[in-house]
Amino acid sequence: MAKKSFLFIVLMLLTLSIAHAQDKEPQYAGVDKDLTGVTLRMATIGGQPYEAMYDSIKVFEEKTNAKVEIVFLGDGFEIDRYLKTNYAAGTVDFDVAWNHTSFMAQYTDFVEPLNSYFTPEELAVFSPAIIQAATIDGNLQLIPRHADISSLHYRLDLFNDADLQAQFKAKYGYDLLPPTTLKQMYDMAEFFVASGKIRYGTQFAGKEEALNGRFYEMLLANGGNYFDDDLNPIFNSEAGKMTAQWMQDLYKNKLIPADTTNLLWPEVAQNFCNGDVALYLEWPGWYSFFQDKTKCPAIAGNFGLARGPVGAEGTIHTGWAGAHAFSVTKASQNKEAAVQLVKFLTSEAVAYDEAKLGLLPVRSDVWTRIIADANASAVPLDKERLELAQIQIAEDFRAVPSFKDWITFGNEWFPQLQSIILGDVSVDDGLAKATDSIKTLMADLGY
Amino acid sequence: MLTQAVRPHRRVMQTFFNILVFVILTIGALPAVWILLTAFRPGSEINASPPIWIPQHLTLDAFLNLFGLNPAYAAGVPALSYLRNSLVISLSSTFFAVGLGTMAAYAFSRFEFRGHTLVFLIIMLSRSVPGIALSLPLFLIMKSIGWIDTLHGLSFVYVAVNIPFTVWLMDGFFRQIPRELDEAAYIDGCGYWQTFWRIDLPLALPGMAAAAIFAFLASWNEYQIATLMTRTPNAKTLPVGLYDFTSQFTVDWRGMCALAVLMMIPAIVFVILTQRHMVRGLTFGAVKG
Amino acid sequence: MIQSNALKTQAAPTKQDIAANRFAQQGRWFPWFMLAPSLIIIAFVVLYPMLYSVYISLTPFNLLRPETAAFDITKIFRNYERLLDDDVFWKSVINTVLFLTITVNLEYVLALILSQLIARVTWGQSVIRTLLMVPMMFAPVLVGFQFAWFFNATVGLVNNALMTLGLMAESKAWLVDQPSGMIALMIASIWMNVPVMTIILLAGTLSLPAEVYESAEVDGAGWWVQFRHITLPLLQPFVLIALTIRSLDVGRAYDIVRIMTNGGPANRTQVIWTYAGEMAIRNSRFGLASAMSMVGVVLGVAFTLYLFWQLIRSRIVH
Repeated sequence: MAKKSFLFIVLMLLTLSIAHAQDKEPQYAGVDKDLTGVTLRMATIGGQPYEAMYDSIKVFEEKTNAKVEIVFLGDGFEIDRYLKTNYAAGTVDFDVAWNHTSFMAQYTDFVEPLNSYFTPEELAVFSPAIIQAATIDGNLQLIPRHADISSLHYRLDLFNDADLQAQFKAKYGYDLLPPTTLKQMYDMAEFFVASGKIRYGTQFAGKEEALNGRFYEMLLANGGNYFDDDLNPIFNSEAGKMTAQWMQDLYKNKLIPADTTNLLWPEVAQNFCNGDVALYLEWPGWYSFFQDKTKCPAIAGNFGLARGPVGAEGTIHTGWAGAHAFSVTKASQNKEAAVQLVKFLTSEAVAYDEAKLGLLPVRSDVWTRIIADANASAVPLDKERLELAQIQIAEDFRAVPSFKDWITFGNEWFPQLQSIILGDVSVDDGLAKATDSIKTLMADLGY
Repeated sequence: MLTQAVRPHRRVMQTFFNILVFVILTIGALPAVWILLTAFRPGSEINASPPIWIPQHLTLDAFLNLFGLNPAYAAGVPALSYLRNSLVISLSSTFFAVGLGTMAAYAFSRFEFRGHTLVFLIIMLSRSVPGIALSLPLFLIMKSIGWIDTLHGLSFVYVAVNIPFTVWLMDGFFRQIPRELDEAAYIDGCGYWQTFWRIDLPLALPGMAAAAIFAFLASWNEYQIATLMTRTPNAKTLPVGLYDFTSQFTVDWRGMCALAVLMMIPAIVFVILTQRHMVRGLTFGAVKG
Repeated sequence: MIQSNALKTQAAPTKQDIAANRFAQQGRWFPWFMLAPSLIIIAFVVLYPMLYSVYISLTPFNLLRPETAAFDITKIFRNYERLLDDDVFWKSVINTVLFLTITVNLEYVLALILSQLIARVTWGQSVIRTLLMVPMMFAPVLVGFQFAWFFNATVGLVNNALMTLGLMAESKAWLVDQPSGMIALMIASIWMNVPVMTIILLAGTLSLPAEVYESAEVDGAGWWVQFRHITLPLLQPFVLIALTIRSLDVGRAYDIVRIMTNGGPANRTQVIWTYAGEMAIRNSRFGLASAMSMVGVVLGVAFTLYLFWQLIRSRIVH
């Protein structure tokens, strides 16, 4: 009898401790050392949905007695310009700076390698693929904050409409399901606009690096690439022409907004939120915004998520990806403290709060929590999107080419792509001209 | 007066003109009205598509956000710092530009010294260099002497920007003041500086008022140089703040309008105070203000 | 020792002579004294940077690669060669010239018309003048934002007004299409600049002597004849004042273009200043950007010189 009760008690204790381990509060990091009298300055990205995280800085200040000043807040392109100007002019007076896998190659001379500031255990919790991508010439450029990988967002009401399904099958010969190829995506955009039930079939941000990235992911899906191994431009190939044609046709046939070439991330998100778009590729960070009934009544609970479509090549899905991150500047006067702040901002607790908004985590511990939450959620999409994201990150993660002048190349290229989209030049002429000018540019830049 | 020459039986035309002009001017003032309205409307009305023409609710939220008084918004825009910087920089650069420019103009208007045309031309042409062309090398130069992001650095640059217009204006204005007054003063034993200070300067006040208006507004509204030369709320001016503001809260037209309203108030005050003299000054005293 | 007649004795100078002499001498350096502070400041803020800019335009300076600031004699004209080959650059030059020519001329015409209309209004002159000064309060960046919003394809006032009034079936992307993009920019610029010119021309018009008009009326001259042969010639000096003020600040258009279209899309609305700015700030290619601004400066100087030549000519006539 005593043995049985003993076993029982042990079992109870075991269960309790396991339960307790699972209920453990998400941890902050970087708050162990006191930083009284230290002022840290940060230049970082602003706008929806990035700024919510900065509220947590108060916690950092409380726990370490440090003071944190945000000296610059701007959208992705403004912050890039700001950082570039300051890095180059040597007028850096901030300790922590925004970074991003698409932009990091430009800043390599100006950020402090972080390898020595982190133990292997601390680094192990971050996605290995991202950490590897972020290590250039053996130097860890940044610590990731959250990941982005574009997924297909589509309107449930349109796809579930029986009449539309019948009409579509009759006209195109296959079922109306979330598109799995770029060609299908085009067909559906065309169909929905023609049915009169939606304003725009699809959309994409049509300027700056936003346009380059979209073109890139589709170029890859179609079997092409921007550059070969010797950095010669090769995108006037069949794949390039196909991709450019796809975009040009969408514009010409008014299946995408007339001011596409002026749109950037917030505008395309707003268009979808207003209920004007049938399907398009979008970053997951907008998820909680889209599901908010007060902000987006037309689509809350009315959209689904799917993997990016494949292109002509047949097996490559689109999957433009990147990770927003933080770095410590070489010019910082107090690198140890700055690293602490970075550890804090990328800690489990802070990352978890961001993940709850919809941004994809980069830490394995946060993934676990988020999935557990989703399992408990009443909204099936909460769980589905995470499963989708995991597949995408594992198989479709495609970061942009990481040579130093990716942005300069992009700035030379995107106006020419805009010319093609708007119909100012033909696809063949436009691509030929572009590759010529890029060759000259690369020569000028010393490649 | 032209209107006195109009014959009585054209009174119908007269009324027509009056109405037409006011309609045109009201349409022209529409942007200002819109900005004012938008600053006071709730966000849901502004981004509404199709648009809501007559405002249904008015709120002070945009201004509260601006000053960080709204608990829902974490970081307020440091609007007060921008305001202080703009005021200090604009007022000081106006003071020095008008002062030094008037002195230089006096020299041109009264003295025919060797090379005066060339020097005048150089000063005038320096203004035709657009801000953006100037701001790039200026940025590098100012950075090397540590005047980036300082109040005195930007004021110094604005003095140079505003001198040419002042010189041109005051030169024309001084030429309308009869030389005999100066000569009478010389005969009385006054030195050059005394003559300038006691005789010409007081008569030149309307011109200086006009120059001051333009200099103030030019400095108050300038963006290209300020954006490269300022980086923190230590020295950032309102136009730069305005632009940064919109890239922070990317589609927040309302917040931008609130800052715009804030920005226009001192400009309006300054102009009201000095506008009486503006026309006289601009037309070299040929027309009473 | 030869006693030389060359040693002429003169009467000792009187006090007045001394004073007169000193006065005359002061008269030589006094203007320079008055001029010096202004000249020094301008030399430091404008002339020196301009010289520096010329130097940089002869190097392949890239801000992200400080070593490129070095002077390489083999590459000095490369930036200018690049520009000659650059379609976008030529397009921006044409756009700039078109933009300046059309806006300045239209502003002049509109200001003239408006001033003549307002001069005939019998009441509320001070209210009118206040309304006219409203656009002067707007920073060019603000004008840019304002009109960018007006011409916005989805929430813009222009589209919605035109569609509500039934003049347009579907919304137009003003800032994207050609030539509505450039037109929208010009409208913004005109809105910004007409008021000042109107005020000056109005003041001039109101100051014209009534007797001349009265005798013209007696002679039976209609309003067009009066306008062409009396008003216009008499307004000449005021026109030149207005044009000079306008020409002194052509660079303000940069703010408007930067914000409304940023030269896009596809470089459709690119002007020299925005193209140079983009080269420098976005691409960090300061060398190329400086070469571009040199061309822009030359254009601006030519424009200003032309206007001043007119001004000096009319001065001589007076």
